[in-house]
Amino acid sequence: MSPTAEKGPDRIPDVLIVGAGASGAVAAKRLAEGGFDVVCLEQGGWPDYKKARAPFPDYELTSGRDWAWDPNARQVPADYPVDDSESDITALMWNGVGGGTVVFAAQWQRNMPSDFQVRSLDGIADDWPFTYEDLEPYYVRVERDWGVSGLAGDTAFPGGDGPPMPPVPLGRMGRRVAKAHNDLGWHWWPGPNAIATQRYGRLNPCTQRATCLWGCSEGAKASVDRTYWPVAVERGVTLLTGARVKRLIVGSDGLVTGALYVDRDGNEHVQQAAVTILACNGIGTPRLLLLSATSAQPHGLGNSSGLVGKRLMMHPFGTVVGLFDDDLDSWQGAWGQHIHSLEFYETDPSRGFVRGAKWGLQPTGGPLSMTHSYPWGEENAIWGPAFHQQLRKRLGRSAMWGIIAEDLPEESNRVVLDPVKKDDSGIPAARIQYRMSENSRRLMAFHQERAKESLEAAGAYETVIAPFIRATGWHLLGTAMMGSDPSRSVVDPWGRVYDVPNLYIFDGSTWPTSAGMNPTATIAAVALRGVDHLIAERRDARTSS
Amino acid sequence: MTSALARFDPGRRAALEAVANLLIPSGDGMPSASEAGVAGRWLDEVLRLRPDFGPPLAAVLDGLIGTDPEVALARLRSTDPAGFGVLAEVVAGGYFLNPKVRSAINYPGQQSVAIVPEQPPDYEQDGLIASVIARGPIYRPTPGRKRDR
Ligand SMILES: Cc1cc2nc3c(=O)[nH]c(=O)nc-3n(C[C@H](O)[C@H](O)[C@H](O)COP(=O)(O)OP(=O)(O)OC[C@H]3O[C@@H](n4cnc5c(N)ncnc54)[C@H](O)[C@@H]3O)c2cc1C
Ligand code: SF4
Repeated sequence: MSPTAEKGPDRIPDVLIVGAGASGAVAAKRLAEGGFDVVCLEQGGWPDYKKARAPFPDYELTSGRDWAWDPNARQVPADYPVDDSESDITALMWNGVGGGTVVFAAQWQRNMPSDFQVRSLDGIADDWPFTYEDLEPYYVRVERDWGVSGLAGDTAFPGGDGPPMPPVPLGRMGRRVAKAHNDLGWHWWPGPNAIATQRYGRLNPCTQRATCLWGCSEGAKASVDRTYWPVAVERGVTLLTGARVKRLIVGSDGLVTGALYVDRDGNEHVQQAAVTILACNGIGTPRLLLLSATSAQPHGLGNSSGLVGKRLMMHPFGTVVGLFDDDLDSWQGAWGQHIHSLEFYETDPSRGFVRGAKWGLQPTGGPLSMTHSYPWGEENAIWGPAFHQQLRKRLGRSAMWGIIAEDLPEESNRVVLDPVKKDDSGIPAARIQYRMSENSRRLMAFHQERAKESLEAAGAYETVIAPFIRATGWHLLGTAMMGSDPSRSVVDPWGRVYDVPNLYIFDGSTWPTSAGMNPTATIAAVALRGVDHLIAERRDARTSS
Repeated sequence: MTSALARFDPGRRAALEAVANLLIPSGDGMPSASEAGVAGRWLDEVLRLRPDFGPPLAAVLDGLIGTDPEVALARLRSTDPAGFGVLAEVVAGGYFLNPKVRSAINYPGQQSVAIVPEQPPDYEQDGLIASVIARGPIYRPTPGRKRDR
């Protein structure tokens, strides 16, 4: 493969990337910098930030329409249905340039060293085929490219370089909870966020509108449509939007020659390439591998291990809210996280479960959010004679811990093709089957109790443990496992599919275990590590050209 | 008038007022839902912003017309949570669009507040972060490696 393949309308690029989300963006930019000719096919379009209404009174009403996270509810042409009737958790995503980062909360968490070694340390599941130390240089690079704010020296991690910008302010609520944790002797640290706290590259400084989850109107949240993609396109990457890949095309030699895709008018096209990278997330990627079955690989492309689609992990999520006497300005601030705590992250067998969870301290939103059944709970419904009194208690005077729980890989939790439903291009939809384990339930109950104690120590006169809801599947991981043993993994430690040597997977599908962290920092660092390796090996790589 | 608005004739609006006042009654110096205009001007505005609420709201209100609002509301909450959710969002959404309500609850909207770096930074004040650092590292190192601090 040569990085200088002929360009032109019918050119065969060096690399085809499917999916323009977090991992696709990291791969595209790095390959373009390495002189590679790259085409990316993305089923959605560019986000329309005119619809990010934070500065307007209708913001809380319209955000749920234009920035919904559930593709089954949103149902725009870019979306494909994900049947979740057999799942305890609904899968959430954004299909378009930027992928999930368009609506992500920007909480930027590295994994801890133990996350890569759960078999060695805790005797469960599998180790990753590399360590924290192997990945650390890629975290550092990606944090500079991405635009991350935070503070080096977090005592929950080995030392080393931190992110390039100072952290978001703790705010009144962060300070209170930080002080309480010091009194309790519990860990906290200023929140790491993919939020610009000063002008940084293409990013404006954050204005603390607390609307990261519904599109940042200020251009301050580092989503890859704003950071990576404009650079990649300037460097010559061809990004085709409205291009939904139906299946990968496999040659008689077993190598992938490219992809068959459908445009928004329903026309089919073939995009050839020497190397193909899948970056479609933990549901889109196994869906595409299963759709690309051939007579030689009848159970799905790259699936000789039988693990494609299996071991889906989505991170059960919990919230605990505290009510305070003081005005904490809690509809403002970065959202994002003001501080995080990893006090109870590591395994302690005496707790009756393995692994742990990360907590992020967040604002609670504007007045309309105060009326919702999440996180407030049906039993605390605001309606009726106490409405005004309850509203005063909650609005501006509440803070909440969001709890990301590690779930363990189980083969029965999985993505399959839907035998009935199709997307609007006629391609079989995805179906997810996911049951929350006893370990996850115990873990969550323990963490909710500790988070309640944290807020009480910070002076909360009342706390609410949010009810469990299904619509929290923000993190889609594990469905094309990475490992050193081809019989027990789909991709090798660099993301290359064992069965198809010119096919790579760089999204969160490859995670052997889920960690209890927001995953994008690690997805991006692993993608950068994989693409660096791909570039270094390119002359030896077996390709179809 | 759009078709979504045309569907909300006085009968439906009256039904909305009745249940809306049960959800948000007057008190504490605050207007009730109907006094704030959630079945009038602000209903029109909510439906302009969220036309997708029109059909489910119409279905809910038709089920309420001619019934005892209190009984009907209780039934709706227990038998049709999704329908109740739309009704509640329309009522509270309209209520909080009203500028008088917003000012009475001191909610100026999501404001633009520049991050002004403090010296020393807020996390250093009152020995906050020094206390965390003094407690030392809390992570388990990669097997075979020592904690580096
Ligand atoms: C509401 C929300 C909040 C979140 N908050 C956080 C957070 O605070 N911190 C954090 O770390 N993570 C967060 N996440 C998760 C984060 O968004 C994802 O981890 C990240 O975006 C995953 O990157 P990816 O490259 O694996 O896939 P994605 O970013 O999901 O990108 C996949 C892309 O592939 C495209 N695609 C899929 N199939 C096809 C096909 N057949 N043809 C063409 N294109 C296709 C999709 O349209 C999509 O654009 C959040 C997610 C959501 C939804
Ligand atoms: S908090 Fe900052 S980054 Fe987030 S949406 Fe608001 S301005 Fe953007």
